[in-house]
Amino acid sequence: MTQFLIANMAPLMFAALVVFLLFGYPVSFALAAIGLSFGFLGIELGLLTPALFGALPERIFGIMSNDTLLAVPFFTFMGLILERSGMAEDLLDTIGQLFGPIRGGLAYAVIFVGALLAATTGVVAASVISMGLISLPIMLRYGYDRRLASGVIAASGTLAQIIPPSLVLIVLADQLGRSVGDMYAGAIFPGLVLTVLYAI
Amino acid sequence: MNFLLSVSRLIDAANERIGRIAYWLVLIMVLVSSGNAISRYALSIASNAWLELQWYLFAAVFLLCSGYTLRHNEHIRIDVISGHLSRRAQMWIDIVGTVLFLLPMTAFITWLSWPIFMNAWNSNEISGSAGGLIRWPARLLVPVGFLLLSLQGVSELIKRVAFLKGLIPDPLEKHEVPLELAIARDEAAK
Repeated sequence: MTQFLIANMAPLMFAALVVFLLFGYPVSFALAAIGLSFGFLGIELGLLTPALFGALPERIFGIMSNDTLLAVPFFTFMGLILERSGMAEDLLDTIGQLFGPIRGGLAYAVIFVGALLAATTGVVAASVISMGLISLPIMLRYGYDRRLASGVIAASGTLAQIIPPSLVLIVLADQLGRSVGDMYAGAIFPGLVLTVLYAI
Repeated sequence: MNFLLSVSRLIDAANERIGRIAYWLVLIMVLVSSGNAISRYALSIASNAWLELQWYLFAAVFLLCSGYTLRHNEHIRIDVISGHLSRRAQMWIDIVGTVLFLLPMTAFITWLSWPIFMNAWNSNEISGSAGGLIRWPARLLVPVGFLLLSLQGVSELIKRVAFLKGLIPDPLEKHEVPLELAIARDEAAK
């Protein structure tokens, strides 16, 4: 049993992670609990030393003083301004009129506003989706299929993660140890292609 | 139970206040950072103290607001399975999760990080960069943030148990207009 645990520590940890995440408790706390319990297990089995736990507050301190993550409050701030000022709704309205005469114009409007917002804010998808939700009742009123309308909104929400500047890319860059510029350069083309593909 | 519920209300009120004050630090941090960038590129004046203030504020935001976020149930969850369960089952998940995951973790980190703050306080630890800030406020943020999170965890636990006993209404109830209702309202307006 002990031998089995020692040999399969990493896969076991991953399996436990998947189970606990599906459990529905907030991800951050489930992750922390898994890390700690497997840390204790590792110490029991003699794989790790207790001194490693002493480094835990230092790791939190490392996150606090991380220069790359300093971009996060800026995105939060920008998202807040967009949300409170109602700029996103105005944008949707204007582009909706632009595409108005075309068949499916409203769906195009949602996609392009999604892409534009993604390019200007890069905040998490949820805010873009909630913006798109405003257009859902209107789309349904004009006889769009329920499935198509909700699909368009959900898909354009995900654009925020790939079109630079994106918060997700910054966190990824930090984790991978690459420069944020490289991540952006790599992501901008696929992001634009994705937008075009959605529109087609 | 009534005593516990008043403890929970006290914790809720405290975290609500702290959260509402701390989220204004986002604005201050944005202003400080923009000011730093402008003064460095336009006036060629840079100060390590102001640069470090940026991440002090950033850290204060996410550490001091974690209890507030928990109170508003805004931590990210994967609800693929739990979304299909009954309200009571979700409450049980939260209770088990709080007791087994959240509280041990926050208590452990609070306990580990306190000596580091004491050390920085006693030795007057100062940043390694020239003109940098004194370190103890930043070191203090970790135990304080995790303490607030633990307290909020206790409060959430009390509320969940009270709900299961039928003492209080659903603590997770949100007062937003559900989508279906919005659509129906829109139809009616037409």
